[in-house]
Amino acid sequence: MVEIDDLHERTLLAPIAHTGRGFYWAVAGLSLLILWGVLAYLVQFSEGLGVTGLHQPVSWGFYVTNFVFFIGISHAGTLISAILRLSKAEWRRPITRMAEVITVMVLFIGAGQILIDLGRPDRLMNVIRYGRYQSPLLWDATSISAYMTASLTYLYLPMIPDIAILRDRLGKRKLLYSVLALGWTGTEHQQRVLNRAIAIMAVLVIPIAISVHSVVSFVFSMTLQPMWHSTIFGPYFVVGAIFSGIAALIVAMILFRKAYGLQDYLKPIHFRYLGQLLLIMALLWFYFTFAEYLTGYYGAEPEEMKVFWAKFTGPFWPFFWGMVLCNFIIPISCLVSLSRHTIGKVLAASLSVVVGMWLERFIIVVPTLSFPRLPFPQGIYSPTWVEWGETAGSFGIFALFYLLFTKFFPIISIWEIREGREGVKEVEERLISYLPGEIEEKT
Amino acid sequence: METSDRLIRALQWVWVGFAFFLVGGIIIWIVHLIRTSWSLDDTLSASIGISLVAIPIFLVFMGVVFYVFWGVAVHGRER
Repeated sequence: MVEIDDLHERTLLAPIAHTGRGFYWAVAGLSLLILWGVLAYLVQFSEGLGVTGLHQPVSWGFYVTNFVFFIGISHAGTLISAILRLSKAEWRRPITRMAEVITVMVLFIGAGQILIDLGRPDRLMNVIRYGRYQSPLLWDATSISAYMTASLTYLYLPMIPDIAILRDRLGKRKLLYSVLALGWTGTEHQQRVLNRAIAIMAVLVIPIAISVHSVVSFVFSMTLQPMWHSTIFGPYFVVGAIFSGIAALIVAMILFRKAYGLQDYLKPIHFRYLGQLLLIMALLWFYFTFAEYLTGYYGAEPEEMKVFWAKFTGPFWPFFWGMVLCNFIIPISCLVSLSRHTIGKVLAASLSVVVGMWLERFIIVVPTLSFPRLPFPQGIYSPTWVEWGETAGSFGIFALFYLLFTKFFPIISIWEIREGREGVKEVEERLISYLPGEIEEKT
Repeated sequence: METSDRLIRALQWVWVGFAFFLVGGIIIWIVHLIRTSWSLDDTLSASIGISLVAIPIFLVFMGVVFYVFWGVAVHGRER
């Protein structure tokens, strides 16, 4: 057992100990994207928001779409990881860390979109000094702060035993790992404290994650704008967030599986289970979308119908039908049977859902603003290179930070894998306890 | 205790202090918003209602971080 554990440690520490040429190529490619984003931001900062496609009445475009999209992706982690942890799903062990890292990274990038959208970032100080809690925007600021704090804590706590392994085994960055490991030696007392804290955070993080995306939806649904003022926007956004989160997690898993040779940890069975979850979420997403649009259509309120037809057959039809194709038709066709070519099918479905969910956020934000209820002139939004640059840069920063994380910390939890191997008997006992006992013969 | 151990211990206190500073800062901000709405007579009930949920959540975060720090770094090492 000790030898096997040692082998696992070496495999999972290898990406941290050794850096291949591929890493530098990836960093160079992502740096170019980020450079484009930085350049775009500098131009916007010096010239003002006039260099973007944002205007009246469409004052929210790519930036707010990206904000909703990235905050949605953040549900990958904490929610999926916390639910799987609490339900003692044993197959979660190689997945949780990857999911939790996605959450933390995209939360910062998502919140950053609002700073970009402000045009004048110094005006953030006005929110801090004069914020009013009547505004759903401030509800957002508070709930996202809570989610960021919870996600950071929830990522850090299960990393402590692994950081201690890095401190003892790696032979570099000793000071960093010693500080972060908090003197972990794996005593019974330390394990008890850590397990209790992780359990508390897992329970706490689920309602916070749900509240965050509900509150993001309130920014739209609390207004009286056509096709925004909806009571199901909260759950609709949460379902979409979990849907896109699972897809993003699968893409990350497949990329790192290939890049770091983790085939022994991320097996087809993991992808099959996640693929089944994705299939359920695709059906749930379709149900919510159908309910949302049918209600609007049946009411036939003139202002609503303008936005409705703009999406179905008007200027936004490619985005709307692209969304339906990417979020429903492609995933369902790929995931309905996973007995063969599991990983390829799950990857195709996940990539499609990531694109489709971005289109969904766009199709929610922009058409309503293009056809406002008040007698403003109507307008079509057309993003400039600045918005494209910011968007590319944001995705680049996410990918780069994720990659850098894997060079400092193991992307698969070493101690949880070890705990899983040692706890096979306990799992077996738990399984037996679910089943009915031996039937005593009644006389 | 060696110098490097002292340095590590000191940095760990800085680390947990940073967490307290972050969470504490958010709590102070929320309290500031309540005070502002009070002084401007600007729907105080909304600020109090939301902060009644938000502040305890942040206090629980602080509690969990301190519990782990105390249980693992301070108490755990002494055992």
